[in-house]
Amino acid sequence: MFGLVAKILLLGLVAALAVWAAFPLIEAHAWVGLAVEAAVSALVFYAYLTPRRLPLKYLLPGTLFLVAFQVVPVFLTMSTAFSNFGDGHRGTKQDAITAIQTASVVEVPGSPEYALKVVTKGDNAIAFLLTDPAGKQFLGDAQGLKPVAGVPDGYTPLNLGEAGARSQEITKLAVPTAGGAIRSSGISRAYEGRAQRTYQAGCDCVVEAGTGHRWTAHDGSFVDAAGQRLPQGWRINVGLRNFTQVATDSRIARPFFRTLAWNLVFAVASVLTTFALGMLCALALHTDRLRGRTLYRMLLVLPYAMPSFAMLLVWRDMFNADFGLINRLFGLSVDWLGTPWSARLAVILVQLWLGYPYMFLVTTGALQAIPRQMTEAAQIDGATPWQAFRRVTLPLLLVALAPLLISSFAFNFNNFNAIYLTTEGGPFPADDPTAGATDLLITYTYRLAFGAAGARYGFAAAVSIYIFAIVALISAISFRRTRRQEEVYA
Amino acid sequence: MRIRTAGVVAAAALMLVAGACGSQKKSDTSTAAKKSGGTLVIWADDKRTAALKPFADRFGKENGLTVQVQAVSKELQTNFLTASQSGKAPDIVVGAHDWIGNLVQNGAIDPVALSAAQKAAFSAQSIKAVTFNDQVYGVPYAVENLALIRNTALAPEVPATIEDLVATGKKLKADGKVSEIMALQVGQNGDAYHIYPLYSSAGGYLFGAKPNGDYDPKDLGVAKPEAQAAFTKIAALGEKGEGALKRSIGSDNAIATFTGGKAAFLISGPWAITDVKKAGLSYDVSPVPGFAGGKQAQPFVGVQAFYVASKGRNKAVAQEFVANYVTRTDLAKALYQAEPRPPALTAALDAVKGDDPDLQKFLDAGKNGVILPAIPEMASIWDPFGKAEAAVVGGADVPSSVQAAAKAIQEKIQ
Amino acid sequence: MTGWFARIGWRHLVGVLAVLFSLFPIVFVVAAALNPLGTLSSTDAVPTAFTIDNFANLFARTAFGHWYANSILIAGVASVVAVFLSMLAAFAFSRMRFAGRRVGLLSLLLIQMFPQFLAVVAIYLMFARIGDYWPGLSFSSPWGLILLYLGGALGVNTWMMKGFLDTVPRELDESASVDGASHVQVFFQIVLPLVRPILAITALLVFIGTVNEFLLANVFLYEPNSKTLAVGLYGLIAEGVSRDQNFGMFCAGSLLTAVPTVVVFRFLQRFIVSGLTAGAVKG
Repeated sequence: MFGLVAKILLLGLVAALAVWAAFPLIEAHAWVGLAVEAAVSALVFYAYLTPRRLPLKYLLPGTLFLVAFQVVPVFLTMSTAFSNFGDGHRGTKQDAITAIQTASVVEVPGSPEYALKVVTKGDNAIAFLLTDPAGKQFLGDAQGLKPVAGVPDGYTPLNLGEAGARSQEITKLAVPTAGGAIRSSGISRAYEGRAQRTYQAGCDCVVEAGTGHRWTAHDGSFVDAAGQRLPQGWRINVGLRNFTQVATDSRIARPFFRTLAWNLVFAVASVLTTFALGMLCALALHTDRLRGRTLYRMLLVLPYAMPSFAMLLVWRDMFNADFGLINRLFGLSVDWLGTPWSARLAVILVQLWLGYPYMFLVTTGALQAIPRQMTEAAQIDGATPWQAFRRVTLPLLLVALAPLLISSFAFNFNNFNAIYLTTEGGPFPADDPTAGATDLLITYTYRLAFGAAGARYGFAAAVSIYIFAIVALISAISFRRTRRQEEVYA
Repeated sequence: MRIRTAGVVAAAALMLVAGACGSQKKSDTSTAAKKSGGTLVIWADDKRTAALKPFADRFGKENGLTVQVQAVSKELQTNFLTASQSGKAPDIVVGAHDWIGNLVQNGAIDPVALSAAQKAAFSAQSIKAVTFNDQVYGVPYAVENLALIRNTALAPEVPATIEDLVATGKKLKADGKVSEIMALQVGQNGDAYHIYPLYSSAGGYLFGAKPNGDYDPKDLGVAKPEAQAAFTKIAALGEKGEGALKRSIGSDNAIATFTGGKAAFLISGPWAITDVKKAGLSYDVSPVPGFAGGKQAQPFVGVQAFYVASKGRNKAVAQEFVANYVTRTDLAKALYQAEPRPPALTAALDAVKGDDPDLQKFLDAGKNGVILPAIPEMASIWDPFGKAEAAVVGGADVPSSVQAAAKAIQEKIQ
Repeated sequence: MTGWFARIGWRHLVGVLAVLFSLFPIVFVVAAALNPLGTLSSTDAVPTAFTIDNFANLFARTAFGHWYANSILIAGVASVVAVFLSMLAAFAFSRMRFAGRRVGLLSLLLIQMFPQFLAVVAIYLMFARIGDYWPGLSFSSPWGLILLYLGGALGVNTWMMKGFLDTVPRELDESASVDGASHVQVFFQIVLPLVRPILAITALLVFIGTVNEFLLANVFLYEPNSKTLAVGLYGLIAEGVSRDQNFGMFCAGSLLTAVPTVVVFRFLQRFIVSGLTAGAVKG
């Protein structure tokens, strides 16, 4: 009975939420959004009202969030791999044209500077009351200028706050004149300007007034005869171009396998070292007879509790060759971050420090689940503690933790911050500033995508899809192996 | 049985919905409040947010509107572009002038129409910096460039050349008074901005100039023999040479090395002065010295500016704020007080330089500087150039390091 | 004596060594936080001077109190809900056999691997639209960010819990089912109490992960009072800000950030160690 009431309340809550969420959508005529919302609500009701579909009832809540906030963004991003999306190509063609025209407005030579008052008649359209340097006044609106003296009857000036509320009208208003148009500059000054470049639909090109210079639309940009393009471009579909570029680009192919190999080493080493140390600590503290166990545990977790970016910076400083704490403390003179292998060792050490508390916590939890009778039974049977660990504890731990180790591998394979905040991929060979000794595929991609003249999201997405494919393959293979394990213990 | 349960559940749920509908009406006022407008949103980094806040509030109070100053801690430029794209852009954004090229190519900022008199109120250098393709895109408020800061207790004389500086530094080191010849940040991956004065003094350049004075990305200085010669001179100061340049001195510790008394010379900008003063050192500021017999050392000159967003909701007020409020002397002075960088507004500079002689010294040090290129291609330079610097400072072969950098840059610019 | 070492002594040795390893960089942070100059490299491992100015300034000059409250709210809600959602999913993955089960598990893993710095743009555009309809769920609001974090709830946690559930003997819930318990009763009354340690640990991990999350929070939270600890603290040493000046404050803030985590850990400790009630498990 209690269950039924809870169910009614929860579903009612869902329905109320759905209705609440629907109102703004209806108001905005967002019918697609509304349809999606209705479909999701229907799915929820179906899942919890049908007596069948047991797994669905358990999977649905998390999956809804997952799909909405992870799967959808990832797919949207992946779809940019087929476009030239990036800096200079973010918006639509119309946006680019507007930007080009706005950017080309110059003051008409010899034209006066006007003092401006924004005025309005009743609640109607706004107009400009303009005063030129000689003190002559004009009223300007979309029709043109006419001379006036003072604020004309029926018009009231707007103060800045009121003007702010009608900002868009003020920006849009251009009072036509013989030489161009008078536009506002803020709300207290106006000037007579003229757009030097205009878009002409007939030739699909931008033409410059006076010179007649023209830039024709081509490949997401306006390009002139000499091949010079205007900076403002727009987003277009480029098909598989990004993918073929990745595959044929020698900059990517050259260091690819070396980077991949190190990437694998880094991920495996991070997982194994953190797991080994974390497990050792968990085992050591896994007894009731140890005094100060709680204190030990709390201190061990501290590295994980500190903001990791702060600690990465601190570690970078500690590895400094001349001033770093490590060299000073141990009397060394190792150029830690300056040579490839020492830098690799350093980043793994930092990873160990950052990551082992995590493994420690997880192993601690898993150890609680292993019935103590089992290890005790093994010891009674004459096994040494080491044998008991090898034969009983470790296999059981691995059942619980194997999936976690795989996902931890996946996380470290893409551990951007671990590299970016410490070595930035360095040290780099003198003859190749593009791929460094500690670069992971992801930091390498990041530099490719964002180091050039503006970000290239489309290209970066294409590289990511390749990396994704590799990781998926590796994970799928290792996952197949866990199937056997699962079958053994399940 | 199951079906009946389902029916009960559905009916009860419907009743709850009805309840929700009843209360729906009340909350509809929020959309109306949104439409009243009259808000101005400014984005800046954390430091400037704090300085701007009181002025923004005053502007808002005087004019009957709400002004929000919001801080974006990291990737301000990228976030601004993404926000513009989605129609959530602020009205005004504050940033360095070398963003202009990228902001313009994304159609994210509008030109600012300043009158001739308003332009004349700023230093010529700062107006030139915010001019891109013949349009003024921002209103500058601070100018900054590198200079040589020296500890006058250790090194009373202004070194005429970098060789003099190194000689003095070495002597102090031999006497055990300092542990480093100078503090010029290099870092593991180099720092193009900080090495540029020496690079230019040794004859190198980044981009040639077009006839109209704009930078020409087709004429890449790093690919020229001058760059090889310049890096050879820099290598001679490096770890295998004089030991004046070191990769172990980077952005984290360069200033601290100086303030801690471990070096008598620091090459840094106005932002370092607060720390230097706090450390209680006696110091002086002078231009970055060049190589003996070389050209003058030219630091980059950068300008901090206010921009009007093209996709902002309140452009008229934003234009008003930027063109007629930011150009006021008292705001420029307040921004200076929040962080002592030389104001771009001449009147504001005159008002504060009496109390702070360092400002004029920094400006003098930047008089021969080159304006940091705002063209989008500049973004391709920093990384490879810095890495070439780090490589030669570490003692790597100069020609191959510089060639590799040139190649990497050319591949990116295409 | 050797007997003592084999039983207890080695445990203390491992514990002490590990604590030393853990604390050695943190001592450095403590020193910087207490140092009046508070710069990164002028600080030696041992505090040379003592001041609490850095802590005082943190509250006086920044919205640190707000950041703290926001972080605890966001991380608190996100961790509790995320643990519940992933426990539900893990129960299905561990106890039920259905079409698409293994594909589902693998996809859960793979979706986590897509670089987030690329997806940020899409997420931003999405929440810009959400904000048009439901302003309370968008930028500068903790609720929008919580929703976003819940998108990642299934990710790693489900894997961890599934692995853990696999070790809980199935006979337990099967026998309960035979006794007439519904699947809901099995889940809430049998399975959940059994896995309390792992629930507690997962909650702690999510809590820590959320407090430290920076990339998305930085894009989401503009209003100075809406920021979280990670975003606010980063702002103290970001580019354009004199890092040396604020480093002491930054270290002080980092130390205080660790406090709620330690408190949560202390609170969850009893669940973590309570473990399985021995009688409930057949050996």
